[in-house]
Amino acid sequence: MTRVLDADAHDTGTVDTAPNRADEGYDNVFSYRELARLDEALTMSSRETGLRFTLWIGDLGPKTRIRAEELHARGGHPADSVLLAVSPGQRVIEVVTGASAARRLPDRACALAVLSMTNSFAAGDLVGGIVNGLRQLSDQAGHPRSSRAAH
Amino acid sequence: MTVVETLLVFLVAPLAVYLLLWALTYLPGGRRRQGVRYRPGQAWDHEPVWYEPQPTGAPTHAAGEGDTQAVGSSLYGEPAAIGSGDGHGGAHGGGHGGGHGSSAVGSHVIAGSASGASHGATAVSAGAPAPAAGGPLGGARGTW
Repeated sequence: MTRVLDADAHDTGTVDTAPNRADEGYDNVFSYRELARLDEALTMSSRETGLRFTLWIGDLGPKTRIRAEELHARGGHPADSVLLAVSPGQRVIEVVTGASAARRLPDRACALAVLSMTNSFAAGDLVGGIVNGLRQLSDQAGHPRSSRAAH
Repeated sequence: MTVVETLLVFLVAPLAVYLLLWALTYLPGGRRRQGVRYRPGQAWDHEPVWYEPQPTGAPTHAAGEGDTQAVGSSLYGEPAAIGSGDGHGGAHGGGHGGGHGSSAVGSHVIAGSASGASHGATAVSAGAPAPAAGGPLGGARGTW
């Protein structure tokens, strides 16, 4: 099977150029297969709905909701974006929907998706829960005419 | 059929099959799992990651035209503005958090560590812009 490329890190990045891909290191939190599932779920649900789903996995600090909303504001297009912030260490997931995304994803739908995600998380299946949650959210948000014309 | 043969056929041979299957199943050295096996309740001391969807106009390997800007070995083609200082390299500096805008995001991980976990929430809330007044945010929260 594919294995992480063994490469010594040496600083090739300059002011103008990005560092070499091999120097950045790979996150080994997820396997390639899991990364591919996450990528497909995020990309397809975003294209399907026209909303912008992003996924944060990491610590959310003591005030998880405030931190998640800050992150949501920092990503691009906050009004249209939906942030799934998962903090496995704290066992918390926060879903933040922007102002116009919230019209298509009411809080009850988010709560339902969160419920199914926490079910999977409690069983130790992070990626499966996230993929299923994204599927539920994008099903709820639907497929508007504007994004239907795109492909 | 002697007694020895009977024992060999009806006792030793099935036992050998059982032992072989047991060894294949439980002895280590088989398929090794990549990544982290998450168990609820374990600490999570990895760098925070932020995944975003692929941009809609992203050139793929099937695109042909405009696929020549590929930097490194990426599954997906790179946008041309990779060296502009606002793009891929900028995503590493926690200083300018706007680095993961819309222009140059080749890979779908946009912020390896937007803020180191050691910085805590205070450093982040100081640097982050206030939430845009675009209306109320919705969402949900869950624990497990």
